[in-house]
Amino acid sequence: MQRGFWHQFGDRSQRLAEEQLAHGNGVGVIISPRDLTYERAVEYAESYRGAGAEILIDQQFYVLRFTNSRLASYPISDYRISVSDLNRLSDHDASRLAASLELINQRIRANAVLAPALTYEAGRPDIDRLNARLFQISQEVGNVLGIPTYATVVLGQSTTSSQANLDSALSRATSLNADGWYYAFEFPPERVPSDADAVYRCCKAGLTLACTGKPVLHGYAGPMALFSMGFGATGSAVGHSQNLWRFARERWAPSNDQGGGGNAPPRFFSTTLWGTIIYPDETALLSPALQSEVLTHSPFSDSVNSNLNWPRWEANKHLIYAIGRAITDISGNPDPRTCAQQAIDRLSSATNLHGRVAATGLNLGDGTNVYQDAWVRALSRLMTDASNDYDYLYLLA
Amino acid sequence: MPFIVKLQDAQAEFPDYNFIAPLTPSEQKAAFHVQDANGNDLCLKIIAPNYHIDRLQREIQALQSIDHDNVVKLVEYTFSSRPGQQRHYIIEEFIEGNDLTNRLSQGHGWNRVEVADVFAMILDGLGALDARNIVHRDLKPSNIRVRPDGHPVIIDFGLARHIDLPDITRTKDGAAIGTPIYFAPEQFNGTKHDIDPRTDIFAAGVLMYEALVGQHPFWQHGMNMQQLSDAVCNSDGYRHIPTFAALPDRWRLILARMLEKNRAGRPRNAAQVATILRKIRED
Repeated sequence: MQRGFWHQFGDRSQRLAEEQLAHGNGVGVIISPRDLTYERAVEYAESYRGAGAEILIDQQFYVLRFTNSRLASYPISDYRISVSDLNRLSDHDASRLAASLELINQRIRANAVLAPALTYEAGRPDIDRLNARLFQISQEVGNVLGIPTYATVVLGQSTTSSQANLDSALSRATSLNADGWYYAFEFPPERVPSDADAVYRCCKAGLTLACTGKPVLHGYAGPMALFSMGFGATGSAVGHSQNLWRFARERWAPSNDQGGGGNAPPRFFSTTLWGTIIYPDETALLSPALQSEVLTHSPFSDSVNSNLNWPRWEANKHLIYAIGRAITDISGNPDPRTCAQQAIDRLSSATNLHGRVAATGLNLGDGTNVYQDAWVRALSRLMTDASNDYDYLYLLA
Repeated sequence: MPFIVKLQDAQAEFPDYNFIAPLTPSEQKAAFHVQDANGNDLCLKIIAPNYHIDRLQREIQALQSIDHDNVVKLVEYTFSSRPGQQRHYIIEEFIEGNDLTNRLSQGHGWNRVEVADVFAMILDGLGALDARNIVHRDLKPSNIRVRPDGHPVIIDFGLARHIDLPDITRTKDGAAIGTPIYFAPEQFNGTKHDIDPRTDIFAAGVLMYEALVGQHPFWQHGMNMQQLSDAVCNSDGYRHIPTFAALPDRWRLILARMLEKNRAGRPRNAAQVATILRKIRED
């Protein structure tokens, strides 16, 4: 697993990822069958590989019953059935599932097999057993293809809401003899998680996975990618869309509306605020001195620099570029403690800048100043409470 | 209650072998030091008739695939059926030397270089089991033989996994065969699904603690089963033993991780621990 910033696929991500890779932003791509048909996935994978990226495909069994026409184009979608039916799969069906998994991973020339897995839930040994079986099937595929097999560890809210449940789920998940971990943590519904205790648990769980000595890919990281390396992750995957900014099952909830988010103004992702600010409604209200601090530019933000109309799609590109560069900087340091401290320093500085923005009377509409301090507290606690984990990681290195 | 087969009965049953001496029996097997026709020293084990045979056969197949210096070699497994009697027996290589029981009951710690060397090899052996998804489940001093040249060899793996817990109050100082004083927390309070290679790493941690500190981290003379279970599952009092507290940081760190109550907090595999021990042996 390449160390650094990964692209987490969502709706209309494929060209965005291509463009970012051309700008040298990103080391890998996680393809989402929910958002791209089988044949197109094969085509784009070739393009990403040509740009030097590693390729993974996430079958997203953690939202098992969701389906759409793109997902249905993958043969493995035949196995998007109930947990009980999956638990009753015959050996013959398991072989067919393995064949489907092998074919798609072979066709996209994946760097590793991401084992399909359901969301880990408290008190669900049937899911544990199913995940173990799906992992075993995937590992056989990985062995046939001669590539590693990463276990998918998506921790549902029933496990993430308490440390005891989390420890129990992690004990079961890490019993898999995986070559790496694809990790996501379900938070309570919120645009960006701001509960310091929950963020601490997310980091502690990631650190526990890292202490297995196997690489961890933090999925659905969004702005939380800032601290992924601080809990020992090797890769951190970010998508442009806000419903990719944390693992959120509502992303897969059936919807009858047209989507698209209406005519919302573009959001400028500021690396110094470590959050978004609405352009131009809010940015225009900043003093020139604050503007120069807040508006941290990228190759996709020239219009902002010139006070021109800035399409939302360009704002998405800017966001991915801005987060990606920051993560790439942090990941240049191999020591998780140092990475955690770098994240703390950035967030503390962001809290200070938010304070100065608020002092001018400007209250950011997205409420993007509510989580930075909570993250600092979570990371500081992690560095104290989990000091032995960091020492152990250092010993493993 | 050990499964005992009289020497003369065994000799009559296996005339192709020269019987040298009976070895310590367990509840699942009677064991003998024998020589084959070529003079090779071997260990012949006759399996008790009430043993769960299909599991035995599955494990035998797995063990036959292992060829590691620190794991006893399985030479042959045979099932024989005669009128009125069915026999399962296995033949392993015979490991000269002694087991760890005496070495660990001397009341003082070994030097750390020796601990690192011996336990890195034990963990290498566990790593070989881990690579084949085999869990020993009954790692204890009497199941580790040490050759005259100092190389440890893990024996009796798998056979103890299905035994009901014996009553510890019937044992003496916890040194008797079959006591659960090397059990991990999940062996006291978990289900069979909770047992994995980290269960063996916990037991190896207990053994290594004994080797370094000169006493057991949880067991105290006179404890009953409930008290032992409480200590293993809940107590970290071992950290306050002066000899442990005086160990170098990295030694305390690796030992504490091996003895973590929660499996997720333990090293994921034995090979990692072996590597670390070789790294810290000079500390």
